Amino acid sequence: MQFDCICDFCNYFCNIVAFRVERIIRYLAFVVLLTGLQVQAQQVNDTCNHQLSGVVLDSETKEPIPFAQVKVQGENKGAVSTADGTFTIKGLCSDEYTLIISCIGYSGATEHQHTEAEHAHFYLKQSVEQLNEVTISVQKNKEQGTESISQSTLNIKQFNEIPTQSLAAAISDVDGVNMASTGSNVQIPVIHGLYGNRVLILNNGLKHGFQNWSSDHAPEIDVLSANNITVVKGSAGVRYGPEALGGAVVVEGNPMYFNETFQVKLGSGYETNGRGYFGSAQVSHGLKNLSYSVGGKYARTGDRHAPDYSLTNSGKEEQTFNAGIRYKFKQINVKLYYSYINQNLALLRSSVAESGNLFAQSIESDEPLFIRSFSYDINEPNQLTQHHLGKAEVNWFSSFGKWTFRVGQQFNSRQEYDVRRNADRPIIDLNLATSDYQLEWNHPEWKEFHGEMGVNLFTQNNDNNPGTGTTPFIPNYNTLRYSGFIIEKLFVGQNTFEIGTRIDYENNNVRGRETNQDLYTDSYEFTNVTASIGWIRILTDYSTFRSNFGTAWRTPNMAELYSFGQHGFKTTYGLLRYYTDDNGNLSTDRVIELDESNVTSENGFKWINEWNRQKGTHDLTVTAYAHLIQNYIYSRPIGVYGTVRGPMPVFIVDQTDAAFIGADVTWKKKWTKALNGTFGFSYLWSENIQDDEPLINQPPIKTSYKLSYKAPDLWKFKETKLFVKPSYTFQQFQAPRTISPSNIIDGTVAVNPDSEIFDFKDAPDGYFLVDLGINFKLTDFQFGFTVQNLFNTSYRDYLNQMRYFADNPGRNFLFTINYTIQSKS
Amino acid sequence: MKNLFKLQKFSLYFLLLSGLAITSCNNDDDDDVPAVENEEEVITDVTLVFTNTADSTDVVTASAQDPDGPGVQELQVLGDINLDTSKTYIMTMEVMNNLETPGEDITEEIVEEGHEHQFFFSFTEGAFSNPSGDGNIDNAGDPLVYNDYDVNGNPIGLSTTWTTASTELLGGTFEVRLQHQPDIKSGSSSAQDGDSDIQLYFVLNVQ
Repeated sequence: MQFDCICDFCNYFCNIVAFRVERIIRYLAFVVLLTGLQVQAQQVNDTCNHQLSGVVLDSETKEPIPFAQVKVQGENKGAVSTADGTFTIKGLCSDEYTLIISCIGYSGATEHQHTEAEHAHFYLKQSVEQLNEVTISVQKNKEQGTESISQSTLNIKQFNEIPTQSLAAAISDVDGVNMASTGSNVQIPVIHGLYGNRVLILNNGLKHGFQNWSSDHAPEIDVLSANNITVVKGSAGVRYGPEALGGAVVVEGNPMYFNETFQVKLGSGYETNGRGYFGSAQVSHGLKNLSYSVGGKYARTGDRHAPDYSLTNSGKEEQTFNAGIRYKFKQINVKLYYSYINQNLALLRSSVAESGNLFAQSIESDEPLFIRSFSYDINEPNQLTQHHLGKAEVNWFSSFGKWTFRVGQQFNSRQEYDVRRNADRPIIDLNLATSDYQLEWNHPEWKEFHGEMGVNLFTQNNDNNPGTGTTPFIPNYNTLRYSGFIIEKLFVGQNTFEIGTRIDYENNNVRGRETNQDLYTDSYEFTNVTASIGWIRILTDYSTFRSNFGTAWRTPNMAELYSFGQHGFKTTYGLLRYYTDDNGNLSTDRVIELDESNVTSENGFKWINEWNRQKGTHDLTVTAYAHLIQNYIYSRPIGVYGTVRGPMPVFIVDQTDAAFIGADVTWKKKWTKALNGTFGFSYLWSENIQDDEPLINQPPIKTSYKLSYKAPDLWKFKETKLFVKPSYTFQQFQAPRTISPSNIIDGTVAVNPDSEIFDFKDAPDGYFLVDLGINFKLTDFQFGFTVQNLFNTSYRDYLNQMRYFADNPGRNFLFTINYTIQSKS
Repeated sequence: MKNLFKLQKFSLYFLLLSGLAITSCNNDDDDDVPAVENEEEVITDVTLVFTNTADSTDVVTASAQDPDGPGVQELQVLGDINLDTSKTYIMTMEVMNNLETPGEDITEEIVEEGHEHQFFFSFTEGAFSNPSGDGNIDNAGDPLVYNDYDVNGNPIGLSTTWTTASTELLGGTFEVRLQHQPDIKSGSSSAQDGDSDIQLYFVLNVQ
């Protein structure tokens, strides 16, 4: 049974894949909905004699796709692919065009590095429907410079250029995306002001199962194991589940294409700030019916350096390994994948103050209180984590649609060490096992409807390992969740409508210890329905409008409910661990059962609109959104409380109703064929609308301009690209008032749970940073040289918890070298 | 028809697989409770015991209590330190975690890790004839009479000797600080080095 293009009247409105046509090209770059590709245009003569040709293939099966529509944007020209998938468009007046290629049942295009680029191959991906909530992939790849060292590019080549960065850092240059962190090693993505459990990280089709305690822990994912990363900015709960309330970060591993030459990629590099070094290797090969990929990385960094002092204990050590195999048997594709990561992440020594005195001093001092000379040593406080991910996936391309069955097992172990008397023993020692079973069906077209439905079973089992010498910070628990979803698309003329709904049932069983070691237990369940509706309208050949309204919900996670005690520099009480007594005082003498508490799940309503216009040398995207979250869960300072160590800072997890309104602008302009500019701006206004006061730790306004230049080949230097990127981050104008810890300690300012929100330190000043870099190719070697924070500016990042104690790292020079060996077959 | 048959076959496999899956997760679904931890970080009670060297039945105590440890209840200093004039006392410290039953004596641990810990004291100047001055918190070299030493010969301070002045003092201050100084403690380390495990203020009366 041949999996043909289902329709022979391929409607080009179904999925738009834009291809930019250019002269030299090898790489077809991937993106989900709007994709920029480079195609070879053969220049036959001067004017109106250009011709374009290519072949459209199924990215999964590599079978040709006949009857796919190929349309030249802005021209009344086009073609339909032939039975062998090929097409030719003649009589074009320029060597550069954007193509719109579409075929019902398919979406997007995938990256493919092709050795003989006589005739470009376009891979259409069988459409895995997701609601079009202004889903963007970060890099549309229309600009030159996919191989530049930009931190905003979400392409495997860029991960290779800054292999030392975290997943969050890799995507944080996307407009509307920020990064929340605890120092240089623990970084998580922020989408439109939301992070932690509101941004789902989908790692190879599985929700990354880790101790997701807001910005205290980073997802254990090696960017080098990813092939591409997609950031979904809308409320993607219907497709991905409750944690995608604020968006999703979709990490995909090596696609393991068939019929690929044997390839070995080796990478290494050095960075000056932290004296970091790394080595990586990736081997891949695609036979006719079998393909595989194996890779790994080792990286080590010592103490980083702020412009004025060493950031003592900020190093990192990391080992990663990944392996995948894919096998094709008729219409069935089987994929097995395994990845492993082992990290030792140092946290800034100065962030730990066991006594109130020292805490007050640390916060009020301009410099950290512990400054030692450079060292690779990682001492307390630090986090040791191991994450195993195993996945088996079966894809069956039948005449009644595509079926996918996915089984995933993840095992996450985490030990955290703290500065304390028993520093050699972990203070937190947890094992988290996560299982996923997913069945999805992409049904064939039925009465103009295209869609997907699926059922999921998700379980998590968290256990505290004994021997920490301290009361467990979070309890043991088991979570069981059943989900079902359906998403349908309907095409009506220039419009595409998408509608989806999802139902989740979740059951939790909790067993923990109070500080006197008494056992507490609880069990509770949630059932919820989410829905989403979206609309895409093709306004003209050049412009598109998308709008999506989605609801989403999320249960409070275990750390938000049960945190109790000191973690990092602060003492935190989870939602069920404190209450306000009759006198208005905070009390923590018992654990509250969820059903008796006022704690409810978060409910979000997000409306997001995107308008995009690409014409000539301009490409402008404007995104505007409004997001209302009922029972928004957040952590805030509540005061200082006396202990035998003196008064210590205390944070509580609280719930309120919050509103987020914002906009992102991305404007790309090709100044010349070689010179490209990208302007980015993101703005967010947010407020606690229940109490009419600001929220805390919300991303400030950010703007940047990146100029990249593609230099002509010089001697053996090829594909030379340079970039410079100035950016300015404003001071957060919506920060809460500041009350210094010493003013609370000495009683100058009295605070209680009903007091207006405050922070212990002012939001840091705005800052201006400049990054620049150059990349070039010399034979089979790819060289990169990047400077981050060129002017060695001292600054603090509002979303970095370490802003209380120290500046961000200063200037960094990064050198990378990559070598690719490819067999000629 | 053939396809339908295939579907049937596929669904059968799926059912089998999911059956397996569900069974296996049922196995995961244990009711393990976290083990009881010997809580070693929490200090709830600190007691200062002054014993008259001339009369072992003459014992003066003062204590401070944080009843719920990491909980939100405030530290309470229970009573003043009331000493007689012109007497010599040996002062010992009792450091306990009474959240556990029975309470855990943390003093032992401080002894074990003596090379990382030191008590420092400050008091109203002239309250004692020996040590004279105002204690060694402001200046580690100031006089203080330690009776116990770590493996490196540096003082710990779980036991100290105090001779009160002949003059009366009412409403004076007495501060106790236990500094945790891993890799820092030396003959010259001070109350400003490392971090405080204990920091308490008492009212001192000598009459």
